[in-house]
Amino acid sequence: MIRLTEEEQRMLDGEEGRLKQVAIENIIRYGEVLGAEELCKVTKATVFCGNHNYLEVNDSPDFHEVFTKLNMGRDEVIPFDRTCPDCYIQSCVAACDLHEYKAFNQEKEFFDRDHYFIEEARKAGVTVVGSCSPYLTGWIPVRGEHYVTTESGMTILGNSLWGACCNSDGIEAAFWSAICGRTPKWGYHVQEERHATHLFHVEASLDSVIEWELLGKVMGTKLPGVVTTPVIVGDFKNVDFVKLKSFFTALAITSNCRMCHIVGITPEAPTLEAAFAGHEIQGEFVVTEEDIQAAYEPLCDRPEGPVNLVSLGCPHYDIHQIKQIADYLEGKKVADGVNLMIWTVYPIKAMADLNGYTRIIEEAGGHIYTSTCPATIGDVFLKDYPNQVYDSLKQSGAVRSSSLEQNIYYTDVCGCLEAALSGEWKEDLRWKK
Amino acid sequence: MEKIVIQGRGVIPGVVEGEALVCPHSITGWGGIDPKTGVIKDYDNPNKGKSIKDTILIMPGSKGSNGWSCYFGAARAAGAAPKGWIFTGIDTSVGVASAVMGIPTIVEFPEGQDPCKLIKNGDYVRMDGSTGIVEILVGEE
Repeated sequence: MIRLTEEEQRMLDGEEGRLKQVAIENIIRYGEVLGAEELCKVTKATVFCGNHNYLEVNDSPDFHEVFTKLNMGRDEVIPFDRTCPDCYIQSCVAACDLHEYKAFNQEKEFFDRDHYFIEEARKAGVTVVGSCSPYLTGWIPVRGEHYVTTESGMTILGNSLWGACCNSDGIEAAFWSAICGRTPKWGYHVQEERHATHLFHVEASLDSVIEWELLGKVMGTKLPGVVTTPVIVGDFKNVDFVKLKSFFTALAITSNCRMCHIVGITPEAPTLEAAFAGHEIQGEFVVTEEDIQAAYEPLCDRPEGPVNLVSLGCPHYDIHQIKQIADYLEGKKVADGVNLMIWTVYPIKAMADLNGYTRIIEEAGGHIYTSTCPATIGDVFLKDYPNQVYDSLKQSGAVRSSSLEQNIYYTDVCGCLEAALSGEWKEDLRWKK
Repeated sequence: MEKIVIQGRGVIPGVVEGEALVCPHSITGWGGIDPKTGVIKDYDNPNKGKSIKDTILIMPGSKGSNGWSCYFGAARAAGAAPKGWIFTGIDTSVGVASAVMGIPTIVEFPEGQDPCKLIKNGDYVRMDGSTGIVEILVGEE
């Protein structure tokens, strides 16, 4: 039984309208399944707007019918016309760019439906951002702040690096929370549940982004399938945000882990003892250089040959990452037949325009796109590219598990750009320590 | 025919019975099933090609993406949902998916009563989402 405040009871009684009533009914049912005793206020949310493929089971022309049936789980039509005014809400990646569709082999009808869905969400109070990396536009929950997100990488990043509080809720519950401003006070929303459970001694030296990503996969493979909170210790040097966002994302998608302490770096692990907070170590592992290299090998296909697609920017790039691409490409030309795509969010694209990075990249033959990514667009785009190169474990893994049979290459940024410039995948572009 | 009774925490009420579909490594939520038919698409799932529709679906918990729940919710909307489902443990993605589906749900079984180990594909199962009681008629395929 969940204890409700007077305000929450009013919502449940329908005094604030049917939409909020159903949202809090769902949150309460969700909390009861978990065994939660109360709810907590949510002040930041990211929600999954647009005409995404899981919505295809309902082809109604009415967004609100589709929304109610799929995201509220109800067989009635409740207009999605408001959100919680105390909650800072942004949209995650969409199924299309807001301006482009031909570049992704998408139909105008699909593009228009995506635009319609997003516009209805905007009218309800969602700021249209279209990014998996909401912090790029200032959406940054602080230590102790309760938030919801549809991004598993954002869940683990906010919990671990910022000490903010979030569970792996999912797409529907993020909408419910954004509407009623509540989530069950359970799991990582409870301070006592945030302690470490498993210990990793990292003996491998981690110098580059790809090594941190591979560490995420190694840990995800070693951890049990249940929810765990690992802590890592090691002689970490030159750690930066790009390395950590890539690490956390890779760990999240290869495990059920949504929080990871790093001794000396993350705020709730000033020491190993503080991370465990008196709790027992449920499992202990060592990560070696050999583990990192072994984790890489199955992620990158072997055949040498022509390259058709090179995609960079998962998670979406920040402006410094785009500058690095522009610096590398200045005065060079991407090979004929190669589509070089760099993914980010609208304001970062505007800054790239302002700084001349877009011009340099376009003169080289590349393009900056926003709001989505190849894996989110899916097979309609990917089917035309038999040989694809990615700088991201998440992106390369997601397209590999699609139904298409293609060569998928995964390497560091320099390797990706060299493949784009030469138009060839060669064995020496594989990542090696 | 042998009858086994186990008990977890009943969280969404309703009494249903049917053939068990056991996924001991769960199902990848984001894209792991075709929501229109309920057919499992996971490339490394031992039940790939079987449908969750009208089964008693048994899993340890969720797996992978934050988007775990939405393909099951889409299956509900398409009329391809299981009759009921049973989870060895509990996690937040299971919580959301259960709230969306609204089908009889039992979670959190005591040690030694793991439904993923005690129940096999094709066993006939009766579950009560109020009491948390699961009756397994072993071997009735």
